[in-house]
Amino acid sequence: MGGANLIEKVLARASGRAKVTPGEIVVADVDSAMVHDLSCCTSGRIFEADVGGTVKNADRIAVIFDHIFSPPTEDKAQVLEFNRAFCRKYGLSLYDSGSGNLHNVAMRRGHARPGSIVVGSDSHSTVHGVIGAMAVSLGNYSFAATVMPYGKAWFRVPELVSVELVGQPPRGTTARDVALWLTAQIGEGNAKYAAIRFEGEYIDSLSFWERWLFTLLGVDVGAKCMYIEPDDETARVAAQLGLDDSQLEHGDRDAVPSARWRWDVSEVPPVVACPATVGNVRPVSEVAGTPVQFCELGGHGGGRTEDVELAASVFAGHQRADGVLFNIVPSSRDVFAECLEKGLVEPLHAGGATWFPASGGSNQAINMGAMTKDEAMISTQSRNFPGRNGNREARMYLASPLTVAATAMRGVITDPREFL
Amino acid sequence: MAAHDVGQALTFRGKCWKFGDNVPTDEMGEFFAQEVGNVLAGLNPRFPVEVKPGDIVVGGHSFGQSSGRALAAKVLRATGISCIVVESAARTFWRNCIEIGLPILECPGVSKLVEDGDEIVVDIEQGVVLNPATGAVARTEPPDDFLRDMLRAGGLIPFVRARPELWGA
Repeated sequence: MGGANLIEKVLARASGRAKVTPGEIVVADVDSAMVHDLSCCTSGRIFEADVGGTVKNADRIAVIFDHIFSPPTEDKAQVLEFNRAFCRKYGLSLYDSGSGNLHNVAMRRGHARPGSIVVGSDSHSTVHGVIGAMAVSLGNYSFAATVMPYGKAWFRVPELVSVELVGQPPRGTTARDVALWLTAQIGEGNAKYAAIRFEGEYIDSLSFWERWLFTLLGVDVGAKCMYIEPDDETARVAAQLGLDDSQLEHGDRDAVPSARWRWDVSEVPPVVACPATVGNVRPVSEVAGTPVQFCELGGHGGGRTEDVELAASVFAGHQRADGVLFNIVPSSRDVFAECLEKGLVEPLHAGGATWFPASGGSNQAINMGAMTKDEAMISTQSRNFPGRNGNREARMYLASPLTVAATAMRGVITDPREFL
Repeated sequence: MAAHDVGQALTFRGKCWKFGDNVPTDEMGEFFAQEVGNVLAGLNPRFPVEVKPGDIVVGGHSFGQSSGRALAAKVLRATGISCIVVESAARTFWRNCIEIGLPILECPGVSKLVEDGDEIVVDIEQGVVLNPATGAVARTEPPDDFLRDMLRAGGLIPFVRARPELWGA
């Protein structure tokens, strides 16, 4: 049988059991929860209408307004008004518009900790497994019926899949390219309900914020959660963020995965996820020359200081092309402050880029990023399904910040390697 | 039928509406403005107009991928469909369906079993799908007791109310 993996240990601790077995359903204590502006409103209304009472451990629920950085319509203003009143009434932790996007703010403000159970209303909540947590997305009903009133949720114990990455990619291929490429290698829906453990020499070599892209982008392969065993890099970031690590767990060395998959990343080129699913990944060389009207650094996975630095490394000193807008959306206020400190704001501004408020950017085009049927965008967002950004014929391409910045200089999708 | 004495029965017979693989929640009702009148219209414009209470939605692989908010499942339920049978479902969509009390069964092979418009019989508790016209049957593992009880109760909220001790109340 072997020992227990990290997820099994966390679930056993939180459900008061000696051990748990894949496939069984347990009710476990939730250590922290996070919801964004759209889902707080939905879950909150269900809670008030059909559940009622008080919210347990309310300060452990972070409400982060990230779709709406400034209400474009009265109904969106009403959503925020409801959320603010709900947070005040029950004592939830509120991060108002302009704070940044859900996951970046939650991680930087200590809402995910090693060994904890983190639940989020957003499907990309899996990203917090990067800190060695069990991070799972739950629907509005779990929030309203069990997380809010009881501080608990039901979980089916997942099977473990080990994804080992070896080698080092060539110059011009970023961690985001590898993460997008890996999504296609695993295949959408092919790791259903599994806990994916990313490991191997390539993962080991990455910084915390590069690893972040793997626990983020793997969600569309169907995984329940994804994580990386805590190591020195995890400890460094946990200390920097001042995280409580009293629940830190490591999987047993003899824990046996149900599947082991291994890929060599040493020949992965820069790639683009093309319309209309995240699994439609192609080398940038195959789509180079495609005209776009929008380039965006932003989203749950993008708009980090690391993304802006990479973009600036090719864009600084250049101008955006006519007919294309280059929009930069910091993932948090802290990121914008870091960009100011590093001198990244002025050169991008001077080159014609526009800085937007810290938020989720054009995710679902609530505040920005709606397109006509003839328009296209290339971005560091996490999804490209039809209809998310205006007309359902509009095209969304997902790529690395290097490719986004190179494209902003030409107005057509451009292989960034020619600028390196 | 003792099994059906508690809560709602989980056997359904109805006309099926068949969809393909990778149907995202964005096609169902991800956005507030999108109403029942539009659900899945991007994939089959007849569906929102002609769907009748008791009809059954049949889907392919990764049905309900993309955003995990329950709105998509609720919009689909609002059409009056009795249940959903898919090759496989995206995790959050599957979870949301069960939590709102919309029965969903993952049954590999269902796509080959029925054509769009066929009548089918679905027994969620036994994990069986039958095409009465052809006699073809597909079987899958029955749901865990916990999930079966949640579906019989009509969703997570009534289930929590009925079993408060599970949640430490």
